[in-house]
Amino acid sequence: MSTDTGPTTDRAPDGSVPGGKATAGTTDARGIRKGMRPERQEPTLPTLGALGMLRWGWRQLTSMRTALFLLLLLSIAAVPGSIFPQRNIDAGRVADYIAQNPTSSPWLDRLGFFDVYASPWFSAIYLLLFVSLVGCIVPRTKVHLQALRSTPPRAPARLKRLDEHTELTTTLPPEEALEAARAVLKRKRFRLHSHDGTSVSAESGYLRETGNLLFHLALTGIIIGMAVGHLFGWRGDIILAEGDKFASSAGTYNTISPGPWVDTETLPPFVLSLDKLHVEFNETPGRDFGKPRLFDAQTTLQSSPGAPKTDENVSVNHPITVDGADIFLLGNGYTPVITVRDAKGNVLYREATPFLPQDPNYRSVGVIKVPSASPKQLGFTGFFLPTAEPTFTNGPVSLFPDANNPEIAMSLWEGNLFPGGAPQSVYTLNTEQMKQVLQSNGSPALFRLKPGQTKELPGGRGSITFDSVKRFAGLSVRTDPGAPISLVSAILATLGLILGLTIKRRRVFVRVRPATAADGPPGDTGHGAGSTLDSTLDSPPGADGRPATVVTIGGLSKDSDPGLAAIVTAITTGVTDRLAERTDRS
Amino acid sequence: MNLAANANAALYASMIVYTLAMLAFTWHLAARAPKVADSKQVADVAATERESVLVGAGAPSTTERRPSMPYAAGPGFEESLKSRQRGSIALMLTYLASALLVASVLMRGLAVGRPPWGNMFEFATAAAAAVGAAYSVLAKRNNWQWLGVFIVTPILLVLGLALTVLYTEAGELMPALKSYWLGIHVSVAFLAVAFFTLAFAVGLLYLVRLRREEKPPAKPSFIESLPTSASLERTAYSLNMVAFILWTFTLIAGAIWAKQAWGAYWQWDPKEVWTFVIWTVYAAYMHSRATAGVDHRRSMYIALAGYVAVIINFTLVNLVSTFVGMHNYSGM
Ligand code: HEM
Repeated sequence: MSTDTGPTTDRAPDGSVPGGKATAGTTDARGIRKGMRPERQEPTLPTLGALGMLRWGWRQLTSMRTALFLLLLLSIAAVPGSIFPQRNIDAGRVADYIAQNPTSSPWLDRLGFFDVYASPWFSAIYLLLFVSLVGCIVPRTKVHLQALRSTPPRAPARLKRLDEHTELTTTLPPEEALEAARAVLKRKRFRLHSHDGTSVSAESGYLRETGNLLFHLALTGIIIGMAVGHLFGWRGDIILAEGDKFASSAGTYNTISPGPWVDTETLPPFVLSLDKLHVEFNETPGRDFGKPRLFDAQTTLQSSPGAPKTDENVSVNHPITVDGADIFLLGNGYTPVITVRDAKGNVLYREATPFLPQDPNYRSVGVIKVPSASPKQLGFTGFFLPTAEPTFTNGPVSLFPDANNPEIAMSLWEGNLFPGGAPQSVYTLNTEQMKQVLQSNGSPALFRLKPGQTKELPGGRGSITFDSVKRFAGLSVRTDPGAPISLVSAILATLGLILGLTIKRRRVFVRVRPATAADGPPGDTGHGAGSTLDSTLDSPPGADGRPATVVTIGGLSKDSDPGLAAIVTAITTGVTDRLAERTDRS
Repeated sequence: MNLAANANAALYASMIVYTLAMLAFTWHLAARAPKVADSKQVADVAATERESVLVGAGAPSTTERRPSMPYAAGPGFEESLKSRQRGSIALMLTYLASALLVASVLMRGLAVGRPPWGNMFEFATAAAAAVGAAYSVLAKRNNWQWLGVFIVTPILLVLGLALTVLYTEAGELMPALKSYWLGIHVSVAFLAVAFFTLAFAVGLLYLVRLRREEKPPAKPSFIESLPTSASLERTAYSLNMVAFILWTFTLIAGAIWAKQAWGAYWQWDPKEVWTFVIWTVYAAYMHSRATAGVDHRRSMYIALAGYVAVIINFTLVNLVSTFVGMHNYSGM
């Protein structure tokens, strides 16, 4: 919004209204509206100079039209992020998408379509909007502070030109009629000022702009909260099998993503063990068959090693908090306990190995790496099926998410597990330097095992045993010190929005003048729009029943404002009541 | 008969009554069309009003249209007794139908022991109930009989779709939805959608009315009996304003809930993206309308685009797998 014209109305001293020929920038009877956002003449560029150009650019950036344009742009720019898979939500899906669309993906990737909300173009839009917002709030606040201290302007000469107007005559003397009008306006919380003895100017609805400013200011508060969260927040994810224990520190999380200004040495040192994970799925046949019904992790928590233990339940929608960090239950799955032995029966590997669920029936994939096997390292890759379809006619398929008929199906590879020694994911097997182990008949070796079963590996390589199956909980530990800032700001924004949208900025002017013979009997009212006063004044009034005073009331409002008419009516009633009071007293 | 079955019976009953209401509203509109003889006068009054607008508002660049009668029907229109009676009948039917629909939603909620919006079928019926209820509450006070057919017909369409395509037996919720925030966040969202819907219908009528005011048609129709375009525009604005406030609350409540359920209050999952898109589009509409020199008609286009986003948010985003994020509770 521009500030190159005065705050609100600077009406000509006599209050006259430029007769319908008002140009943009000057104010007219509806000055409340125009003055707030005057249309600016486009400045001519060449004569501006460097500073002038800057100032011009700033004005453009902080104009309402730019804000409008940027808002629309932002909404359009946000859409691709809901159409293309996003790395921040599911990197796996992005990889799948790139594999399936080899021609378009590199371009999409280069343009940031898989990271829309971190892309330069998206950031540019919201940063510009943010700058525009700040550049808009500051001058508006100044203007508003001035408006708060200013007095309502002088009443225009011809009130009948205003949106709502009415005229009435009364037997009250002018001062008393004016006093009655003032009383009504005061009760309606108007700010009053009399520029002369025969008129009163009133204004109300300052809270509208206050609310508006509060709203915009709070928007910046939300953004600041998000920035604080980004800089000082961190999240760490853990996969914890039933019976296992986790001690929090920078090195113990499966993945940890700290904000740039987080000191990972100061993470809360809590210790958490997963005693039991309760899971329920819908077993009633129908559309919801197999849908999850309950996830509840029963845990034991210590705020630091050696601290007293407390029992805590973490479930979906019910995180627990320790040392300012919230612990969420975000996933679950199965960890088959698998043992691999060499030909002599020495245990080479025995672990509860998490398998990651791939579909709603928890067909899960996992990998077992046995680097200690000799002469060549061994790697297993395959599936865990909680309720295996026994025939495997369509490959390994699970029929139900609960462990009703658990089975693993693994194939075997041998060779070099870690080519180049590069770090790799524990959930994938890098087969670059490995060969699949075949059976004696030449087909790939496949091991299908139920809990308790053992199979020999071909060629005297040893054996594999599926001991048992446990559940795991996918837990996420997060802190976001910016969240409270954003939350408070959001609440203030809503408040400001309600004030800014529902409160109407209004001006009401009242003028009184002694009646002349031409003014007719008391009770005659003008024909203003919204004037609902009929003959409220027909009771016999003052001394000789002749009108003493003509009261003209005019009101104008910034927007559609059905309430304005009611105020004009109220003043009329107020004057009438005052009259009745006086009659009573005398 | 158990509660869930009663809920379905009430749903069918409400559809029948809504159908009757739709017919009655159409019948009412037929009675509203001004006679050709009156139409000249209607056009004249409209023209005079436009002129006075230009003079009164000063610079022709401002699109200010002075209301002559803010919430009354269009100039020169005198509603006939016949049309008024038909309008009342239609309104009565709408009250009944909306009451049946709300009762159906409530019974379903009681049957499942949770807020009755846990899958797409329940979403659709609850949203339709919100629209029906909002219209029923506001219609009489504002003399919105002319709006009825444009509200009741989409409600019927949505209910029909819900029953044929989306129907799901009353069941329990998935864990992610088991939170009192489901009650708060989603019910306010429905209310917001109800107001957006009313505003959308009024907004469309505004555009039609405005067009016909600018180029008066040879033969008047019920459109000429509506409130003036300026008045329709203000009504649409007020409705959008209420909806926008409710939507802001929806957005915030959703973020709070997301923080509880997923550990992060905002992570740009598709549902969040579209909630945000809707919010920014309507914020742009509010700005556009408040910016001097921007035609109200153009602002209205933005609001209509916002409503398209609302529809996408409640349909495509819930159902199409490209959009599937963490909100995939549609039960499809
Ligand atoms: C961050 C994005 C923004 C959002 C979401 C936003 C939203 C809103 C909303 C909802 C309103 C209420 C509309 C009304 O009162 O009719 C409003 C009003 C307003 N906004 Fe913004 N706004 C944003 C940025 C800006 C910027 C950058 C400016 C400055 C150029 C600005 C200037 C104004 C002004 C002057 C009003 C008052 C309009 C009136 O008189 O009613 N806004 N804004």
